[in-house]
Amino acid sequence: MNDFIYKKIERYENLLREMWTASEKYIGTFSVKLLVERVVWDLSKEYREIELLHYNEGMISCAEIAASMKKNPNLPIDDMFMKFITRYVEILSRLIGYENTDKIANWLNEEFRDIPFDSKD
Amino acid sequence: MDKLKTGIKNLDGILSGGIPVYSLNIVSGSPGSGKTILVQNIIFNSARNGLKSLYLTTISESQFKMVRHLQEFEFFSDEFLGDKFIYGDLGTVLRKQGTEKILEYLTEMIKRHEPNIFVIDSFKAIRDIFPDEKTFKAFVFDLAAALSIWEITVFLIGEYEEIELTRLSEFAIADGIFHLYGQEEKRFQKRYLRILKMRGTNFENGEHLFQISPAGIEVYPRIKPKGKELQYGVRQGRKGFGITGLDEMMDGGLTEGTITLLSGGTGTGKTSLALKYLLDGAEKGENGLFLSFEEPTSQLMDNARYLGWELDKYLADGRLDIKFISPIELDVDVHAFEILNMVRGNKVGRLVIDSISSFESSVSDMQKYKDYLWAIAHQLKMRNITSIFTVLNEDLFSPASVTKDQISLIADNIIMLRYVEEKSSIKKILGILKARGTNHDRDIREYEITPNGINVLGKLDKANMLR
Repeated sequence: MNDFIYKKIERYENLLREMWTASEKYIGTFSVKLLVERVVWDLSKEYREIELLHYNEGMISCAEIAASMKKNPNLPIDDMFMKFITRYVEILSRLIGYENTDKIANWLNEEFRDIPFDSKD
Repeated sequence: MDKLKTGIKNLDGILSGGIPVYSLNIVSGSPGSGKTILVQNIIFNSARNGLKSLYLTTISESQFKMVRHLQEFEFFSDEFLGDKFIYGDLGTVLRKQGTEKILEYLTEMIKRHEPNIFVIDSFKAIRDIFPDEKTFKAFVFDLAAALSIWEITVFLIGEYEEIELTRLSEFAIADGIFHLYGQEEKRFQKRYLRILKMRGTNFENGEHLFQISPAGIEVYPRIKPKGKELQYGVRQGRKGFGITGLDEMMDGGLTEGTITLLSGGTGTGKTSLALKYLLDGAEKGENGLFLSFEEPTSQLMDNARYLGWELDKYLADGRLDIKFISPIELDVDVHAFEILNMVRGNKVGRLVIDSISSFESSVSDMQKYKDYLWAIAHQLKMRNITSIFTVLNEDLFSPASVTKDQISLIADNIIMLRYVEEKSSIKKILGILKARGTNHDRDIREYEITPNGINVLGKLDKANMLR
């Protein structure tokens, strides 16, 4: 598998970590973990590989997802991660309000200009 | 903040639109207080709005019994069973797998059914199974966090005593607390609901009466004066009785938007005078409402015919409405609220309550009676409704007081009716004791009630109104 894919996964990992940190401020570590758990479960019906995402307090790792790409090089990682992010932001919006989620989304947009965020998706 | 509409009569009003979604609510009360019916009523109303509920029982009642009891209510529909109403048994899990497996089992059930509403009945039973308070507190915290992340509105039902509401950890974690209780008052077995806490929304605190009927739960909010000060615009309009002598004594009639106490002994003609007041309004095109707690409509109609008054055409065209509520059935908590509803609905300009003495006899404590009268009077004034409250003065010949409970404080005007003896005959006299903002007549006048109506006669020389 080429470096480009690894770089991409690494970028998503950084993004998820930042998302985690930004949401923690509003809902706390415990609830962020539960929210990630819920989104993983939601998405696992479509992408089993998302269950390889490892997460714990302050730590989120896509290493196993990257490793699985050797067996399944056609995994649509962009689709999978974008759906993960969209679903996460969508639920977060309903929990803490669009206004607060917008702040997170705007900040992430600044940090990751190539990935569009919208709390109203 | 989005709200879950309960759909229960008047409850959403008390909650400023409903219960905030994803909140964790405890519904507490002793056995038989109506907790389960309240929650099930909310669930079935929500099912009609497309929301799914997961209802888990511990050891309280089997699904078979629950469904059998629910069938008695109009809100129940078996089409929702297994679809929008999922029933689960948590008791078996508790007994066979222990407390550490509860959260796992609940999460599994949530993933399987993806409900919008989640109920545990009874949560108190779960508390009793936990080995200690610390472990239970941690469980409640985890449960609350997990359920909110799954975007579920939660109801935990429990047989808690009121004293426990301030001590137990689940009440600190709860977003909302509904406490239900009942008590016997006079001839009624009353049910009350209090919202002790509701994060994320304004709510009407205090004691609200509720009833359980075949329709389900109906709540009657505590009525209270709104605002801190009673300030009303001074109005100049007058509403008369259509009785020449009396209207003259009142400088043209009752000032618009005021409350008048019509106080007198039995047989002095309080009801007839009040009826004439509404008839005069109807003749001028105003809507009037007569709330009778003493005489049925047919009897009032007969009295009116005897006095030469034809009420039928005004009753037919809606300008006049007579509602009879039997004093046996009179429940101030219910009827005070319904009076205001009737007044709102009918665009009433004139109102009669005959009599507030019946109100008094149906309440268990005097303070409550005064609070209700004060609140009703305030609401009527705010709506600019010119109202007459009749009140029985049991002392036929001596007006020692207008009412025995200082109810006169709510009145802008007081008209006193009583008897005097003169030359071995009994005469009726009336006097205006008080009329705010009115240059009223201070004389005491004789009046008579005849088949030709009510006539105010001359001044009585020797009667002493305040003897």
